[in-house]
Amino acid sequence: MSFVLEFENVTKEYRSFASKRRLRALDSFSLAVEAGEIFGFLGPNGAGKSTAIHLAMGFMQPTSGNGRLLGESFGDPGARRRVGFLAESVALYHRRAERLVRFYGALNGMGGTQLDKRAREVLEIVGLQDHANRNAGKFSRGMLQRVGLAQAMVNDPELLILDEPTSALDPLARVMVRELLIGARNAGKTIFLSSHLLSEVELICDRVAMLHRGKLARLGRTTDLLQAGGRTEIIVRAIAPSHFEGAAARDGIVSFSVPTHGQRAALEKVWNLGGEVVSVNPVRRSLEEIFLEVTAEPLSPLSKGVQ
Amino acid sequence: MKPVLLIAINFAREQRWPILTLLLWVLLLAFLGLVTDIHREREDLLFVFKQDAVYVLAFSVFFGGSAIYNERRSRRILGVLSKAVGRQQYLSGLVLGVTIACAVYCFALGMTGSWTLGSASFPISHVWFLMVCLLAACALAGTVALMFSTFLNPFFAAGATAIVLGFPALAGHLLGPRWGLVIPVWELGATVINSSFDSPGSASWLVVGLAGAETVAFWLLSARIFAYVDIAVAVE
Ligand SMILES: Nc1ncnc2c1ncn2[C@@H]1O[C@H](COP(=O)(O)OP(=O)(O)OP(=O)(O)O)[C@@H](O)[C@H]1O
Ligand SMILES: [Mg+2]
Repeated sequence: MSFVLEFENVTKEYRSFASKRRLRALDSFSLAVEAGEIFGFLGPNGAGKSTAIHLAMGFMQPTSGNGRLLGESFGDPGARRRVGFLAESVALYHRRAERLVRFYGALNGMGGTQLDKRAREVLEIVGLQDHANRNAGKFSRGMLQRVGLAQAMVNDPELLILDEPTSALDPLARVMVRELLIGARNAGKTIFLSSHLLSEVELICDRVAMLHRGKLARLGRTTDLLQAGGRTEIIVRAIAPSHFEGAAARDGIVSFSVPTHGQRAALEKVWNLGGEVVSVNPVRRSLEEIFLEVTAEPLSPLSKGVQ
Repeated sequence: MKPVLLIAINFAREQRWPILTLLLWVLLLAFLGLVTDIHREREDLLFVFKQDAVYVLAFSVFFGGSAIYNERRSRRILGVLSKAVGRQQYLSGLVLGVTIACAVYCFALGMTGSWTLGSASFPISHVWFLMVCLLAACALAGTVALMFSTFLNPFFAAGATAIVLGFPALAGHLLGPRWGLVIPVWELGATVINSSFDSPGSASWLVVGLAGAETVAFWLLSARIFAYVDIAVAVE
């Protein structure tokens, strides 16, 4: 298995200059992102998502542990040539949008007519073709985020690392980004996406990780996580609800849930009672439920000690 | 090399307002050259010329000491360093950018100086020699400030730079003129300040070369330090 982004036991502590206080933003964090997936990176405010991303980009050194980006140690400029990055607060020079995108492309070693063409192309993808000659210093927050996305894509990167890329976007632009990311994945690219928009993550991410107070709290395929309740909901007709514990009846329709391993026995019981099965579905949870569950979990003693 | 140039030009571009403001002083010299009798007022013109030279030296410390701070505080540094740009290249870009910014000014001052002082029988070749001295001093001063600013905020970086640049002057005064060459910013600055119509400056190219070599040394040192700095951390 080839991993495009790997964290191995990474710990990051912030020290403040004046006092001796340390804050452990990441705590023995390990994660491996596979090539060709859209990976959702979730967690409450201050969980350490941006910290992890900044370590991967080489903006900071881990306190301990290490990791690899496209096979190279964190901080290797050569690896970054194949990466597109969008920071959570987009900060760009005050220049015309097209020039700006060309500037970032040129930093990645691009040039000539190829770069000109590509700059126009990505601005069109993010819907800014009509503003290409306007100064980005006068852009709205959402427009800035769009230029940010354009500059991240200018080098046609293998790996996109996006820190809350849609936080300022209107619904239309969010749909645009969603389609963009799915298109990129279909073209074989990998996307590492930090986001608070759980419904969006649920829609597009193949796998998700949830971070809580610097530690990995959940990791898995999105579909598995959403079904991880291990229960099946059964809806039947023509039997009395009293036959099944916790069953609810409405308009002659009876619904109840059973542990998935007891599903067969329950169905047989329905048939034996002369009932009719309407539907059998795994009980789906939402990422939001999982998110709330994770954030309600108590602190581990380790992270308590440092904070 | 290309990223270094791009970062340097971008830096100079971002500093265009301070540079243009600074150029107003050169304009003052040109204005005086236009409205006064150049021969009679030549001492005054030389005085303004020297004053302009001191300003750019001070500004080189300001440029060097605040470059990283400004880029980090605005978070624009993240966009640049998210590309295939190494820390060393980034820092080299800033050193070159500071030098370009000062060079633009020195060139303007040299042109105006050649015209005004030149008309008052100050050797033109010497005006340009003084500008080379000045630019070498600016590059060295800016690089020292940049080095301190990799781990200090601009205020302390400027203070530390003043101490480091002032020390050789003090030591030169107390212990002998050779000490003045340790970090020859003062020495080069003094060449400009002490020039007169009778003796238009006495520094040798050797001192200029020394300043150049020390600029490279401080640049390498700052690149070394900067490689370990956490740039995504909020600045104090
Ligand atoms: N530069 C810094 N100096 C000190 N502490 C920091 C710094 N940056 C982040 N932290 C702390 O590290 C922890 C993790 O922050 P981080 O920005 O990684 O969170 P996040 O998961 O990205 O949150 P959000 O969803 O709000 O973006 C927080 O407690 C934060 O206060
Ligand atoms: Mg964040």
